[in-house]
Amino acid sequence: MIERMSFPFHPFVLPFLIGMSFVLIYCLYGIVKILVQLTRDERRRFLLSLIKPSTAWKNIKDIFLNCLLHVKLWKRNRMLGFMHSSIAFGWFMIIVLGHVEVMLFLPDRVHLLYYPIFFNFFVAETESTIGGAVLFFLMDFFLLVILTGIVLAMVKRVRSRIFGMRRTTRASFLDTVGLYSLWAIFPLRLLSESFTAHISGGSFLTVPMNWIFRQFLGNDLYYLPTWWAYSIALGIFMAVLPFTRYMHIPAEMMLIPMRNAGLRIMHPRKGFARVQVLSCPGCGVCIDACPMSARKENLKDCTVYLNRQIRRGNEPRIEEISDKCLLCGKCTEVCQVGVDGPALRLAQRSMRKYGINQHYNIIDPEGYIGALGSAKVLYFAGCMTHLTPGIKKSVLSVLDKAGVRYSVMDPDGGLCCGRPMMMAGRWEQTRELIRLNTSIIKASGCDTLLLSCPICYRIFAQKYRLDGIRVVHHSVFFNELSRQGRLAVKRDPELRLAYHDPCELGRGCGIYDEPREAVSAAGVLVEGEKNREESICCGGSLGSITLSYEKRRDITLKSLMNMKAGSPDAIITACPLCSSTFGHYSDIPVKDIAELLDSKS
Amino acid sequence: MENKDQILVIGGGVAGMEAARQLKSLGFKPILVEKGPALGGHVASWNRLFPDMTPVRKVLDPLTSSLEGVEVLLDTTVESVSRSQREYTVVLTRGRVIKCPAIIIATGFKLFEARKKEEYGYGIYDRVITNKDLENWFNTGEDGRVPDRPSAVGFVHCVGSRDIKAGNQQCSKVCCITAIKQAIEVKERFPQAEVYCFYMDLRLFGKKYEDFYINAQRDCGIHFIRGRVSEVAELIDGRVQVKAEDTLSGRPVKVKLDLLVLMSGIVCNPANNHLASELSVPLDEDGFLRSRDNIFSVTESDRPGVFFAGTCTGPKTIPETLSEARGAALGVYNYLKGKK
Repeated sequence: MIERMSFPFHPFVLPFLIGMSFVLIYCLYGIVKILVQLTRDERRRFLLSLIKPSTAWKNIKDIFLNCLLHVKLWKRNRMLGFMHSSIAFGWFMIIVLGHVEVMLFLPDRVHLLYYPIFFNFFVAETESTIGGAVLFFLMDFFLLVILTGIVLAMVKRVRSRIFGMRRTTRASFLDTVGLYSLWAIFPLRLLSESFTAHISGGSFLTVPMNWIFRQFLGNDLYYLPTWWAYSIALGIFMAVLPFTRYMHIPAEMMLIPMRNAGLRIMHPRKGFARVQVLSCPGCGVCIDACPMSARKENLKDCTVYLNRQIRRGNEPRIEEISDKCLLCGKCTEVCQVGVDGPALRLAQRSMRKYGINQHYNIIDPEGYIGALGSAKVLYFAGCMTHLTPGIKKSVLSVLDKAGVRYSVMDPDGGLCCGRPMMMAGRWEQTRELIRLNTSIIKASGCDTLLLSCPICYRIFAQKYRLDGIRVVHHSVFFNELSRQGRLAVKRDPELRLAYHDPCELGRGCGIYDEPREAVSAAGVLVEGEKNREESICCGGSLGSITLSYEKRRDITLKSLMNMKAGSPDAIITACPLCSSTFGHYSDIPVKDIAELLDSKS
Repeated sequence: MENKDQILVIGGGVAGMEAARQLKSLGFKPILVEKGPALGGHVASWNRLFPDMTPVRKVLDPLTSSLEGVEVLLDTTVESVSRSQREYTVVLTRGRVIKCPAIIIATGFKLFEARKKEEYGYGIYDRVITNKDLENWFNTGEDGRVPDRPSAVGFVHCVGSRDIKAGNQQCSKVCCITAIKQAIEVKERFPQAEVYCFYMDLRLFGKKYEDFYINAQRDCGIHFIRGRVSEVAELIDGRVQVKAEDTLSGRPVKVKLDLLVLMSGIVCNPANNHLASELSVPLDEDGFLRSRDNIFSVTESDRPGVFFAGTCTGPKTIPETLSEARGAALGVYNYLKGKK
């Protein structure tokens, strides 16, 4: 391989060079800005995690698997997975191989940014390289892989349903510019390399194309404009990248290490939140997933649009979307990047200033402590279980039947668990409630705290520090009682029961199997069409501050329809709020797992 | 018998009975269809009626006797309806087919299922009953849930009405006065008992209603507490404890009761859905049938020859229902006179 030109530069590389430099400077500036926005503690944690071998290895693995191979996407839809990984991984390989070529053949040109990209323009093939055509073959191979991906991407524009997507986002103007320049890059690269293949060499793709072109093109006048076009396409893509959804490519490489470092979203716009927002690829998978998509007018209230509005700085819409969300967490579950939509919204809610700030200092925990018994199992019913007395009665009845000694923490109403305040973004109030409840629970001398409401369970399990006291949801506890034989459950093999995963218990706490096992002990378990991680919110969630009851109706009906896919005789859930929300509209019985087990034992 | 004199009246409550009676005296041949085993509808399960404490029999007996000669089909519902230019052909259950030029719909309402307001504990606690259960107890004296000598009885207004959460935004109109009537009746039977009414606001619009309210407070000493009940809990001795907010004094209240009566509201009859789609008459957002106009043509539908009477178009009192039934019968008369 020898250089064709005496001077290793040609003006056509300028568009690429300008675009590339712009992106690099932009990203560098962004990284510094985000690091500055982190708190001192967060920054230390993040930087330390980068050099710690275990997290560093995890970072590399995650970036490779998610950003290049898109394994999560493959699991969702093979076509979608192939399309994305062929473009990302193929492009990555072409860049790597380009550098390998330069290092092998022209090691003194390694410092030139554009050499690996436009390698075939600057070199002429010699006898020595024809023998080692493996590199040329690989270059053509990966170009072909990318082109297949691009063709699939074009098909997807027209028929997104093949890729398992019903609705997708409407691209903004710059997104469209980015998209078309991205599509143009690789066909142009193929053309340019084909035109120069008789000089610089090529493989199974470029050499035959070169031969065909030479049959009717008499001279080499065509190749320079094509290399120009290739460089311009690259330049445009790079120049618009920071302002389009393609920003997710660099941002995700930042998101993964930050998440692995255990950072949390504290401010809705700054630091980690900024990385989350920029990492959104705008694919729109969350549109179909959002329970609010049952209503056409709420289609633009899902996370992809929240991210878009945050990037545009549209404050009224950001507030609207943040307050409306049910916080069911399904968008995060289906998101390929893992953008934490609910956390972004909570942080946004926490920015609001209230005229009145509740204080709970006047509450004396001693008043509650005095009424507690001395049993090792302490049962906290919470407000939702108090509002569904049937469930409370059944919980106590099951405990009695199994011979569990218990005391009730809130026999006559108690303090709030704090989760509703947390969902409203009022962290100060939440902390105060946590403090009060913690002192009551610790004073009781119990070793197990039993909850029958997943809303309470989630905050007790995740935010309270109870030093060794086991926090357990009744679906898990009752399943244990049934397995140990302390609760004799009679199974009815004729009874078909569909189990609905409450958002707070399933996606919120990862509890899916124990309730199913308990339901199977009483009847035949059938699944809703969407279940487990992808179950649909019942519509009753406390998460939404502004969604009115009429509007929730369609969400509930859609979720009910989903639950009835296996034609069950009854719907079983493990949340008093789901149970009462469904109860208003369901034509088949809706019961809590406690009521089911109570009636079958 | 010619088809053109035959008029189908769907629903055998007071609205349907009165409509059939009026049609008969106007010279038509009404056919009264009732889905249940007896005429009288919801009214038949009541004991006494406001505002004059009229016994139900005094209303139903004259209506029943005046229906002599009218064909009444019990345990029958409408299966399908088809319409030709001149008449409706209605297929009933049990294989009966009726051709008629006009139809009066008097399918009435459904009482809200109190079980759906779980927080009030109906069907879960032993001491919680509904307004209908109480009337039944007045009639029969048999209900294990009503204690022999209660010392405190509570009434919860607006159960399932004016409640978007329960899916019903409309006011049921008659429960305020019914609650006061029943509270007075309970006080008459158990003079030693304290009686509480928990209300959002009292809507006492009709003749003599306000007198009832004043009487209840002044002469019977019934306590009126403005505020919705938040939660009902069962005590160990079987009594129930009601938690509410007294919004006038701005304080939470807790009352222990021997009996709690839930004033189940009037909600739309789900049977209307089928009928409405068969006849292509629209439903309102609240699920009731939609009148052509809410001032001038309450008893008329958008379909020629289809008339409404009573609570199938929304909550109403008995006198209002009766006058609508008469209006609907007159509507049929004028409609058919014009066609001759």
